Amino acid sequence: MKKQQIEMTNERAKLLLSAYRHNGADAQDPFFREALEQAARDPELASWFANQRGFDAMISEKLQSVQPPATLKSAILSGIQGSPSRHPFPLGQLLGLAAVLVLGGILLFVTRPKNEGLPLAQYQSAVFAVLSEGTALQLDLVTSDLSRAQQYLSRKAAPRAPEIPASLRQLPTVGCRAIGWNGKMMSLTCFSLPGGELLHLFVIDAKSLGEIAPPGDIQEINGWHVKFRRQNDMLLMLVSKAPLSELSGYI
Amino acid sequence: MRNAGLDLEVIVDRLYAPLYRFALSLTKSEVEAADLTQQTFLILAQRSHQIKDVSKVKCWLFTTLRREFLRVVRTHAIHPTLEFQPDIHDAPALSEDALRALDAKTVLGALREVEPTYRTAIELYYLSELSYKEIAETLEIPIGTVMSRLSRGKEQLRAILAGAISESSNKIIPMSRDEEAAN
Repeated sequence: MKKQQIEMTNERAKLLLSAYRHNGADAQDPFFREALEQAARDPELASWFANQRGFDAMISEKLQSVQPPATLKSAILSGIQGSPSRHPFPLGQLLGLAAVLVLGGILLFVTRPKNEGLPLAQYQSAVFAVLSEGTALQLDLVTSDLSRAQQYLSRKAAPRAPEIPASLRQLPTVGCRAIGWNGKMMSLTCFSLPGGELLHLFVIDAKSLGEIAPPGDIQEINGWHVKFRRQNDMLLMLVSKAPLSELSGYI
Repeated sequence: MRNAGLDLEVIVDRLYAPLYRFALSLTKSEVEAADLTQQTFLILAQRSHQIKDVSKVKCWLFTTLRREFLRVVRTHAIHPTLEFQPDIHDAPALSEDALRALDAKTVLGALREVEPTYRTAIELYYLSELSYKEIAETLEIPIGTVMSRLSRGKEQLRAILAGAISESSNKIIPMSRDEEAAN
């Protein structure tokens, strides 16, 4: 089918050239060729175009002079690259983030008495409190690199799995977090599953929970699939909303 | 599954400032703009493995930032699609000197006064320097509509700036870059 030719009038050329970037980035784009040729032929259009580019250059220059806050770049990089930040992403207002999490965390911290033999059920509740925010997780460190996540948790003296299961090592991480709970430390490392769901790995020193006998099979709790593993003194708790068919290869 | 071609540090270095400016134009708040910019990079970090074409990251980031903004403020205004047709191009003339005397805040303020239908396109044009194709992709509108919005948006911006100049030309004191950054 033959493409219909549209006559290149000055008005049409102006319309097209409104999208032409003043810095010449579109100079090689054939989309503008005809309009540019028209401007080269027509003095009135050429004058309009020169004026338009001058205007665009001036507006761009003014707007580019607006500087981001001095700390913004380092705040972003601290999340993405692994420079530990005492103030993780301040996302609260925009995201409706963490309100439930913070409240839940505070309540857990304040209301639970210190106890040398914290039972498994309480630990499980704490884990679900962390996950209950629903919109997005609050992480200390955002990174797709598992080794960086491990290094961060190590620096924070947070418990880590002695050996990350080989199936998980193949997955990109989303990030990690060191969590204080009832005077104990636990860690969270998030992995991104191929289907888009997250797989959360919580680790705590099993001794801090006293005598426990975690179930060996996969549990379904409030829509979450949960699997416990013991590695030496550490208790690993794998939690995900992904379907079992996808999880089976990982947990 | 990792996207080995995606160097997040380089991407942050290259794009955090234009993203912040775009966020600032949307939110009108420096704090919210910073949060929105961070959230956009957080999403990139979380979904980097889903990005197939590294060359599309810039467009992806601006699209994501805008979607996050819309999601957060729950704005569901309908932006009508415009016909691809010639327009009237009789915007008021502005002298180069008058334009040069304007400060960034005045220009940013004028940009915010442009009708929402046209504003986002020209914000992307000036603040992100996206091409017309990338703007079309970011806003999910036809290329012809981008042309119309840029053309009309620029006319409105000129008119608003002309009004600002005529009203307060004697009051405008150009600020240095440091002063602007401090504000």
